[in-house]
Amino acid sequence: MKKLPHILLLILSVGVFGCATPSLLSKQEKIPFIGSSTVTQFNLKNGLTVLVLEDHSSPTFSYQTWFRVGSKNETPGYTGLAHLFEHMMFKETKNLKPGEFDRTLEKAGAEGENAFTSRDYTAYVQELPSDKLELIAKLEAERMTQLIVNQKAFKTETEVVQNERRYRNENSPEGKMYQELFETAYTKHSYRWPVIGYQKDLDQMNAKDASSFYKKFYKPSEAIIVVVGDVKPSKVLRLVDKYYGKITSNGQKRNDSITKEPQQKRVRRKTLRLGLQIEKLYMVYHVPEVTHEDTAAFEVLQALLSDGKSSRLTRSLVDTGICTSISSGAFHNQDPSLFGFFADMQKNKKASVAESVILRELKRLTRNKPTENELERAKNIVEFNFLNSIASNSKKSRFLGRYHVVANNFQNGLNIYKNVKTVSGGDIQKVVKKYFNRNNRVVIKGIPK
Amino acid sequence: MRYLILLFICLNSVSAAEVSFERDTSIPLVYLNIAVKTGVVADPKGKQGLTNFLGEMLLRGTKSKSKQQIDLAFDQMGATLETETRAESLILRGAVLSSKLDSFLSLLEELIIQPSFPSKEIKKLKKEIISEILENLSEDKTVAKNKFYRFLFDNHPYGNSILGKQSNIKKIKRADIKKHYLNLFTNEQLIIVGTGDASEKKLTMWANSLSQKLPSNSQVNQVTLPSNSKTTRLQIIDKGDRTQTQIYGGQVGVHMTSPEFFPLYVANHVFGGGSFSARLMTEIRVKRGWSYGAYSWFKHGTMPRSWQFWLFPASKYTPEALSHTLNMIKELRENGITEKEFNFAKQSLINSAGFKYNTPKKRAENILIEKTLNLPEGFMKSFGEKIKPITLEQANSALKRFLNPNKLSIVVLGTAKDLKEDLAKAIGVSPNKVKVVPYTKE
Repeated sequence: MKKLPHILLLILSVGVFGCATPSLLSKQEKIPFIGSSTVTQFNLKNGLTVLVLEDHSSPTFSYQTWFRVGSKNETPGYTGLAHLFEHMMFKETKNLKPGEFDRTLEKAGAEGENAFTSRDYTAYVQELPSDKLELIAKLEAERMTQLIVNQKAFKTETEVVQNERRYRNENSPEGKMYQELFETAYTKHSYRWPVIGYQKDLDQMNAKDASSFYKKFYKPSEAIIVVVGDVKPSKVLRLVDKYYGKITSNGQKRNDSITKEPQQKRVRRKTLRLGLQIEKLYMVYHVPEVTHEDTAAFEVLQALLSDGKSSRLTRSLVDTGICTSISSGAFHNQDPSLFGFFADMQKNKKASVAESVILRELKRLTRNKPTENELERAKNIVEFNFLNSIASNSKKSRFLGRYHVVANNFQNGLNIYKNVKTVSGGDIQKVVKKYFNRNNRVVIKGIPK
Repeated sequence: MRYLILLFICLNSVSAAEVSFERDTSIPLVYLNIAVKTGVVADPKGKQGLTNFLGEMLLRGTKSKSKQQIDLAFDQMGATLETETRAESLILRGAVLSSKLDSFLSLLEELIIQPSFPSKEIKKLKKEIISEILENLSEDKTVAKNKFYRFLFDNHPYGNSILGKQSNIKKIKRADIKKHYLNLFTNEQLIIVGTGDASEKKLTMWANSLSQKLPSNSQVNQVTLPSNSKTTRLQIIDKGDRTQTQIYGGQVGVHMTSPEFFPLYVANHVFGGGSFSARLMTEIRVKRGWSYGAYSWFKHGTMPRSWQFWLFPASKYTPEALSHTLNMIKELRENGITEKEFNFAKQSLINSAGFKYNTPKKRAENILIEKTLNLPEGFMKSFGEKIKPITLEQANSALKRFLNPNKLSIVVLGTAKDLKEDLAKAIGVSPNKVKVVPYTKE
């Protein structure tokens, strides 16, 4: 009984993808996306996942490679390695001299060639003219397995990353506050250290550490390739099969022994004296991981509180002359996460005033449900933000890749926005009561020196 | 297609406003930009920041609606409306769920035609903008960039900051805003460009109706030609405890329609045009690890605006990195770029030119740029075609005519006491010729 659908699947694959090599496929399916569009998902036997979304409105496509590794997979003493390694991926490979990867793509007319690392993932992105599909598949497959990590290049790149750290953290009051926020909110979980790492760790790591990281995390079973644009799924499959099909996912196994964050017992507070002219408030509450059923309610809560100029906190903080800006929202993380409030104060106004106002508004929600009108407004904003977040090939790729990692599959990401439609006033009240309490709170204030 | 052309002609016969809309049904949203063809350069003397202030005030009250009512109405539609102030345009950028377009257009028209500039909101906005100016002082990059434009352009309006100065903001009066509105929002200055899931007919009819309700005034604010400094000069923006500096340097640029522009565009791509193969990135980041990034680029206006470079090295590498960059600029002028570099840049730029117009939003943005900077229609789409015939000789001779390594304006944000002497040495001037300005000075 179990085998029957599999046989049907293979027949379908030969029919739809005549050039494919079925022996390399373990699974393929078409999954509804937005409107009538569908994502074709392939799973190769070596563990590689491929997502393809056709859009022939321009002769270009976005090609992104997402790896299920981020700073949370690092260990103490090696903080920043995931991000530093992301830099190394642009260096030489067995068949590409230093700089040749970039030069080849630039010559081909690549746009937005870049990479980024977060706590949960690392992604490599670019857009290309549609006749360059084979080129990018070949190049990305090459650096997935054939990278050469030498000490000299590693040391130069470490210096570059130290400069990036100076830019984003050391010389940025916001960067310092953000770092403090995570270090205070998490005491055990590896979300606590900054993605860019600590200076002393960056200084002491070497090329050997990078090689070992590469062998452990950079292989087909840890990767998702997302292709959106002027491509045919059959051609993508043929080329992925050609360049990635023979790569095995052997080697060092990952052993994710990430320590769970214990429940916070009491409010945590820090005040930082920084190079600021006005005060700033960063305040978070611990909330569950992105796949949790409450995530849709958090989206509506965010819109209700701070999205749009008529939101409750914009009215009570900006319109009243306390803050210049207020934003809020849940970080969509794979592991238990945070819902944050971020306020910039107006001249001579105290961050503690903003904190009191936010607490007052949260308390008000525990007493009275939001009205139907307010809910409708909030849901319209969530819908708008979601649609705006998938308004181009690269944005669609980013949505698919990100949620395929943090939410286990992109359908779970879509479900958040589908579930928003059914969030009720009672649901909002429930999550506020459940998570937004004193002992679950972390407050970081930035004040002028 | 014929229908659309007829409609466009019809529109132009009754309105001086320029209108363009591209239907795109891929997602149920509509994006709309309503712009006027002048921006920060139109700020009156002593009233820097007025154009941006006016833009914000347009969203804060009409004859029949308060700011609160306006905010609520937009949010209920799932719509956003923000203002963006540029040197030579003021843009209202709106986006809405297509199902709510009618209500959105109706409210938008009311904001543009019947603004009331309530005194209470003027007072509030002053406080917000002054706080925003103070907030920006914590961002080294923003401070350095603004100071660089002021230093490069001296008193020319291209050097004006968008937000303005605190002292000027305090002085703005309701009558100033009203007068500025009447000067800027005229039939002739109006540009409406959009894309999204709506009918072209509906949008053009709406635009037509809107422009007819605005007064006519063919007087256009003319920007004068900026000039370079007489010698290379350096200003240090002093901020304590910096472990990293922000370096901006450059000279007056070239107009996009100048015959020199495309040869220089190719040459700049070789030098610092954002790619990892560019000389600046290779020398400063890849080989030495001095800075996370190093770039050069042109900024455009109705007049030649700027060519500039930017790097942000660790403080300890700053004098060396600046000196190396200046030598590279001299070398670029003297010896030009190589044939290999030229061919690579040309091919790369031609192959990527399609990305300048591969989405409806980019095409709308291009039209906005063309119309606000007085460029020929289709100019932004023509990059690939314009680059094809450029020769190496054209690029190198343009570099010789254009680059002025001895007339550069350079701004370094960092800790002056640690840097002044070494920086002066790096650019070959006496330390007493280096001007040091506190980062908080307006």
